[in-house]
Amino acid sequence: MAQTGHLTRTSMAAGEPWLSPVTRLRIIILGAVIGTWELVAASGLLLRDVVPSTLTIGRALVELLGHPDLKVTLAGYVLWIPAFYWHLYVTVSEVAIGLVIGGTMGLAVGLLLGANPFLAKAFERFLYYLGPTPKIVFFPVMIMWFGVGPESKIAMGTLSCFFPIVLSAAAGMRQIESVLIRVGRSFRLNTWQMVTKIYLPAMREPIVNGVRLGMGVAMIGTLLAETKLSNKGVGFMIIDAYNTFDMPRMYAVLLTLFVIAIGANTLVGRASRG
Amino acid sequence: MSAGATIRREAVPIVFGVACLLALVALIEVLIRMGWINPFIVPKPTDIVMSFERIIMEENILPRFFLTCGEALMASLMLSVAGISIGVLLHRSRIVRLATETWVAAVASAPLVLMYPLFLVIFGRSAWTIIMIAFVSALPPVILKTLEGLSGTRPVLINVGRSFKLTPSQLYWKILFPSALPTIFVGVRLGMIFALINIVGVEFLINFGGLGQLVNELAERYDLPGTYAAICFVILVSVLFFIGTERIERWLRPGT
Amino acid sequence: MPAADPILVVENIVKRFETQDGVLTAVDDVSFNVVPGEFLSVIGPSGCGKSTLFNVIGGLMGGYDGRVTVGGETIRGPHASIGMIFQEESTFPWRTVIDNVAFPLEIAGMGKAERIERGRHFIDLVGLNGFERRYPAELSGGMRQRVSMARTLASEPKILLMDEPFAALDEQTRLLLGDKVLQIQQDLKQTTLLITHNLTEAVQLSDRILVMTYRPGKLKRLVEIKLPRPRTSEIVSSDDFGRYVAQIWSDLREEATKGLKDDEARRGGEKSS
Repeated sequence: MAQTGHLTRTSMAAGEPWLSPVTRLRIIILGAVIGTWELVAASGLLLRDVVPSTLTIGRALVELLGHPDLKVTLAGYVLWIPAFYWHLYVTVSEVAIGLVIGGTMGLAVGLLLGANPFLAKAFERFLYYLGPTPKIVFFPVMIMWFGVGPESKIAMGTLSCFFPIVLSAAAGMRQIESVLIRVGRSFRLNTWQMVTKIYLPAMREPIVNGVRLGMGVAMIGTLLAETKLSNKGVGFMIIDAYNTFDMPRMYAVLLTLFVIAIGANTLVGRASRG
Repeated sequence: MSAGATIRREAVPIVFGVACLLALVALIEVLIRMGWINPFIVPKPTDIVMSFERIIMEENILPRFFLTCGEALMASLMLSVAGISIGVLLHRSRIVRLATETWVAAVASAPLVLMYPLFLVIFGRSAWTIIMIAFVSALPPVILKTLEGLSGTRPVLINVGRSFKLTPSQLYWKILFPSALPTIFVGVRLGMIFALINIVGVEFLINFGGLGQLVNELAERYDLPGTYAAICFVILVSVLFFIGTERIERWLRPGT
Repeated sequence: MPAADPILVVENIVKRFETQDGVLTAVDDVSFNVVPGEFLSVIGPSGCGKSTLFNVIGGLMGGYDGRVTVGGETIRGPHASIGMIFQEESTFPWRTVIDNVAFPLEIAGMGKAERIERGRHFIDLVGLNGFERRYPAELSGGMRQRVSMARTLASEPKILLMDEPFAALDEQTRLLLGDKVLQIQQDLKQTTLLITHNLTEAVQLSDRILVMTYRPGKLKRLVEIKLPRPRTSEIVSSDDFGRYVAQIWSDLREEATKGLKDDEARRGGEKSS
């Protein structure tokens, strides 16, 4: 007979294995994926260099993350570190600065649009329709304006993250229950107090989601710009590996990049849940 | 208020917005002519407009447009079929869904398009590199939305099906799937938009293809007004695509 | 006591749930019969196990002690003779009204032309003529519930089982829909079992009312409603109506108060010293 007893709980029998069925399935899936990869690598079905064995990739990873091959000077001290961390630092700073600039502008404009229906009706649709356009095509313009250094990459990041943040801030403003705003007005709060004590706390979730999205696109915009025209950064490392046909290194950089990106995204996601 | 007055009132902000935009463009034109802005960094808007004609005539804008569209269509087809099928398969088994859903969500947040140099090695400088990159990077949202739609079926609708003694197959096709369709369409549309963005982006980066490649080529030739004009084309196509898919989505969801 | 053979027999139903707070008995040894053509309401405060009873009789819930028989046959899952109407919004938003109502006929394999015609009959019965081609999103809450009702009626169940179908509607709409239900029941001589917490609704519509206690849900009292048939919503202004309501409320109030106290105790306020 079919059950809808949602209050009933199945009890764990004594002596259940400590790995849940979900974890076991995940291990099996991972094993199958790696196994298939190795088979393809060993069989030479695809060009051997395109699908290097996991061992080769592992070695490249260790070398990438552990082999000190770059001399840096830090506060008067000379250090040798794996070059990757320096490139990572470059990229992270570019993305961070881009997020800060684009985020602040996005938040400010978003709050304004959310609060003022006239301005919103006048301008918001431009932003809405410009949002899903490929920002990388603006890169030549950014180079013209900011040069070939990190500034143009920061500009790419800023441009990319501005749109999701401004749109979620504007939408976030509008979804604040009007009663909360009336409470603020009844206490005669000034604009600054309204923003910091009512609007921003009430908008926490949409803003964090907007920032999460913004972070993702800022990362993509900055990294793609680095692959196009740069001599440093993680994006540069990827295209450099391509140019030198060092496939294991490319895989290693890509894997590390994805892990970092997913990790950053998860952290911000946790922050939105408070 | 009369209907005419309401229309006028609604139109005012829109007209204001457009007017501001035109005013900004006019201001830029004036500032450049006065020498306050360097015309080698920001070309005169009038120059940009004039180069439109040149671009259309000399740069094969129509074949380029069709190439980009063709790539987008191919990628969209692949992602719809693969994305919905994978979503349906993952949904069938609760344990598979629990094991893999977070992984798919994680992959969705990774900058997959950065793999384009890898695909360059595999497929060479060809349309297939572009299509495959778009396919791979736009797949996760389709899978996730399919899963979301199927799992999000309201329990009361399932109970209605059970009370009418539907077979599991009938329950799936007559209740679960139709209930999930609106969300699935949202996923497909999202996927198509990501695909187009990545297609134009990669065309630009690898200097192959249609509209994206045009921007890159003109930039490399230092044809500044042309570059700006080409960027305008890209924006136009992107906006039209976005609006078009939005209309289709609304048409497919009756009563929404 | 009615003399006819009962069509629905509920025997000694006991349903327990395991929760974080221990074993909870939702329904404790409930038995009753329903005879053909009768309108029986089960009324009780929130938390008396009415919805559990609804799911058990409807065959959507298992794992209970006791037996439910329909026409002598013990049920094993949703029974073909029982039609269910749910409390929540249950129309299929992607189907038009006519496609919603004809749904059970479609499942039964009826041809398109025939089921459209049959469907129209039931749409007419609930008073929604002209709305066949509309989508549920275009209708009001009350109209959507009527569509759900027509859909269930289209399967021509021997027993109609309803779980607070009007809970989401305002009082006036409820009264008017109550009229509709009375009219339909009279026309079809439909055996109906209504689960509700609404006192006036129960007295307005029923031949008999079963009052349940607060958790664990037991049968507290069986009240025969000897108001004249055919009835309309005007009955609410009669003296007899008022007397029945008062009588049942005194039972209900005791149980509802228990429920309230229990709820507060569970949520654990701070003791003020």
